Amino acid sequence: MAFLDLDRLSLAFKKEQVLKEASLQVERGETVVVFGPSGGGKTVLLRLVSGVMQPDSGDVRLNGRSILDQGPEERGVGMAFQNFALYPHMPAFENIASPLRARRLADSEIERRVHETARLLKIDHVLKHFPKELSNGQKQRTALGRALIAGPEVLLLDDPLRNVDAKLRYEMRIELPRLLKSFGGSVLYVTQDYKEAMALGDRVAVLLDGRFLQIDRPAEIYKNPADVRIARLFGDPTINLYPVQPRPAGNGIEIELFGSKVTLPGSHGHLQGRECLMGLRPEHIHVHTEPVEGGLPMELDAVTPLNVRTVLFLRTQDNRELLATCSEHEQGNFGRGHRAVHARIDFERALFFEPASGTRLPAAA
Amino acid sequence: MDRSNPVTKILRGLALLAIGLFFLFPLFWVALMSFQTNEQILRIPPSIVFEPTLSNYWALISGRLVSTAGVLEIKFMGNLWNSVFLSTTSVALALILGVPAAYAFARFRFRLSEDIAFTLLSFRFAPPLLVLLPLSLYFQDIGLTDTYVGLIWVYQLIALPLILWIVRGYFEDISPDIEHAYRIDGHSWWKTFTKIALPLARPGIAAAALLSFIFCWNNFIFALILASAGKQPVTVGALAFVTASGIQYGQIAAAVILSILPTLLLALYAQRYLVEGLSLGAVKG
Amino acid sequence: MAELNLTAVDKIYQSRGKPPVHAVRSVDMAIGDGEIVGLLGSSGCGKTSTLRMIAGFEDVSRGEIRLGSRVLNELAPAERGVAMAFEGYALYPPLTVRDNVGFALLRARTPKAEIERRVAEIASLLEIGDILDRYPPTISAGQQQRTSLARALIRRADLSLLDEPMSQLEPQLRAILRARIKDFLIEHKMTTVFVTHDQTEALALADRIAVMEGGVLQQFAAPADLKERPANLFVASFIGEPPMNIMAGEIAGQEIVIRTVQGEKAFTLPAQAGDRPGEIRVGIRPHRVRVGEGPLKGQVVSNQWLGDQTHLGIEVEGVLLVAVTDGTLNIGIGEAVPVALPGDALHLFDAASGAALRHGEVSAA
Repeated sequence: MAFLDLDRLSLAFKKEQVLKEASLQVERGETVVVFGPSGGGKTVLLRLVSGVMQPDSGDVRLNGRSILDQGPEERGVGMAFQNFALYPHMPAFENIASPLRARRLADSEIERRVHETARLLKIDHVLKHFPKELSNGQKQRTALGRALIAGPEVLLLDDPLRNVDAKLRYEMRIELPRLLKSFGGSVLYVTQDYKEAMALGDRVAVLLDGRFLQIDRPAEIYKNPADVRIARLFGDPTINLYPVQPRPAGNGIEIELFGSKVTLPGSHGHLQGRECLMGLRPEHIHVHTEPVEGGLPMELDAVTPLNVRTVLFLRTQDNRELLATCSEHEQGNFGRGHRAVHARIDFERALFFEPASGTRLPAAA
Repeated sequence: MDRSNPVTKILRGLALLAIGLFFLFPLFWVALMSFQTNEQILRIPPSIVFEPTLSNYWALISGRLVSTAGVLEIKFMGNLWNSVFLSTTSVALALILGVPAAYAFARFRFRLSEDIAFTLLSFRFAPPLLVLLPLSLYFQDIGLTDTYVGLIWVYQLIALPLILWIVRGYFEDISPDIEHAYRIDGHSWWKTFTKIALPLARPGIAAAALLSFIFCWNNFIFALILASAGKQPVTVGALAFVTASGIQYGQIAAAVILSILPTLLLALYAQRYLVEGLSLGAVKG
Repeated sequence: MAELNLTAVDKIYQSRGKPPVHAVRSVDMAIGDGEIVGLLGSSGCGKTSTLRMIAGFEDVSRGEIRLGSRVLNELAPAERGVAMAFEGYALYPPLTVRDNVGFALLRARTPKAEIERRVAEIASLLEIGDILDRYPPTISAGQQQRTSLARALIRRADLSLLDEPMSQLEPQLRAILRARIKDFLIEHKMTTVFVTHDQTEALALADRIAVMEGGVLQQFAAPADLKERPANLFVASFIGEPPMNIMAGEIAGQEIVIRTVQGEKAFTLPAQAGDRPGEIRVGIRPHRVRVGEGPLKGQVVSNQWLGDQTHLGIEVEGVLLVAVTDGTLNIGIGEAVPVALPGDALHLFDAASGAALRHGEVSAA
């Protein structure tokens, strides 16, 4: 039995069905990241768990008992909001102390615990400041402190890093896992940044159109996406997609690709004769300046360095676009682009999808 | 881009002065009149130079109006007290009823909520004369004519819609997340209302209270019809200065100045909260 | 031929009753014909003021701006022959997307067929082909931004100015659009200056980047130079995601003593012969931190696999370092791991001034 059990939750706003029987189980001490594009019902899901909203149908169980009939103040959850939702008329200290005040702890105990939490979050020097005097990073940490301080069994984090600058967001991405593990409760973390989801989640639950399309460990979702939409959401640059139709050839199968005939590895043999959408991740395309075995000739149109990897913008012989990446130290080989190159594609790791529904076509058994 | 040079600065100053004079001149003239006798006022041509007298104020405070036709007893100080009492209690009652109602309208969508809110606002567009006749008949029947309770009740027509609509807007501006956060912290909804919603909407409540106080204070027609001399506010009481032997301009002017004073003081006091509201600003997080 | 030259350009904002604000301080920039330059910095650094002075929306307080042989200072915006994409899009609401994009060509009395061809070309480049007959208020922010970009790029003006051109782009389109835009700019040899706060975008698009802070041009160099030879601490910490690891330390004799945030001695690194004793900051880029071998003992704080790269948080004697590798690393949180900080990857900065002292073994002076 799961610790936190969201059981077939449905909710409609006006005529729009935001959640359609969404189910998710979270174990004790586990961090599950709810990932999806904006407006996908992620925030609503957290509101249902926190109790500030009620589902049309379905149940929320904590430790096997339904908590739907409890008000938000009785559920003992902690929550941090995307817009921080700090109390503007109270200093940071009182903001963080609020859950302890509600539990009527002694002043000395409150004092001690607020300072302890603030030290952990590195905001002990701004406790006397009002929210408007805090930087965005400090606001975000104050909100996190308020959510954590009472040691809730369930912590709800609604895109808490969205409104802080890139550098701070990165810093928190590195620090948060340790903080969340030391806190020990179960965490539901909402984000629309796939890197954040992969970095922070023990598991990632992909919420699309009101349903959880895939719930799995981050690496599994990246390597084995259940749907083409998930494949497109995970990865930067986005996965390259081309319609192909594998045909038998000799003792294997082959496809028409970029104006050439390409033989696919035996592991894709079962796809023979099916129309499908082939997904090639940019990092599985290796670009060389000299001809290589199995390399397809292409034109390199532009080189756009990212931070750790560099994106190569390729044009194939049948005038299609293809994005590949290379590591930073290889980038120097390519100059400003506009030259002929040869791309070797790792077809072993290609992903295939059903063109109409977008469902992943399973790998060979 | 600010390209101000000395010439535009001077022109701007002059324009401000002209506008100020235009709006404040009547008030300034009334203030001067209040320190003059009727004869000085009616001089032709009028003059700005005169010997100031406090006789007008003295007459109002003592309640004895001495004119060429004899001595007239007036109850101006009584009227002033009535105004203070009626306006204060009306606004207080409207706040007690209106602020929670405004919160409900702002936070909850219930059946007919928009219709009810609109009906309450519609009290403001009906001309008072339209409701006065039936109202005065009913009041006579149930014995509310010429009572403070009756007047305060009728004043709710003025104060309640104003408070409801202004304060509702302020509540709507507070992010619901802030209240949700406080609930999730473990506080009851009542504490959330008193510790979060009320303090954050305070500037709005202050503004609405001030405005409805002024409207109540300036009301004339309800008090004229529904109250007799003993319960009448200053607006109606000033009619007493229109006597058979002429109009007592000096006393009227002094009465105007005295009746402006309470609202002016209140506005100056409430300004603090209005400004505080602006500087608190980041309510939306 | 359109080189853009800024010579000792200042911008001072005067406002009544307030001290003047010196937004841009003595900026010199020589931008070659067909070069793509990014103005990069956080809000209030003077980048937007600089761009607006080039466009003609702000007076130049001091200095000179030349485009080719013409001095732009006293010319009205319309006379400068400059195309601009605005941060707020500034689309014409009563015109369709098609007419918005073609507006400048129509005014220049370009033949109808030519306009149609160029609108179609730019529309397919920016993926607005399917919304050409819609009106700006009915399309999404991302689509509006792409329309505004199309309207500026279609002119192929002597100089294109782009203000935060890609801030609202949909994540899945970002990489491909960057690549296509860069390809387009290079192909048509368009001199381009764009403003951004996002260093990733600057790195991807620009031939050279002008990093600004406090109205001062900190460094004007190619992306690789900014990464390998940052002129000062500001540039070093601004460029790169994850940002450069920066540690506080001191050169004492033959050693560089690294300290923790609390100021205690953490570990030492070998110093070089030319190093002068004193307070310094030591930087190392995350992908130059070597994990799995080396003299230092680290403990893994976080291990985040992001699909094509792995980010590790490692605490070394109380100092938190971020390391990035291309592949996967199977190390759990809390595990011990040896770490090396290679001498040729270290950047030394003066603690007081922030100026770079040396990069690797090479002196910065």
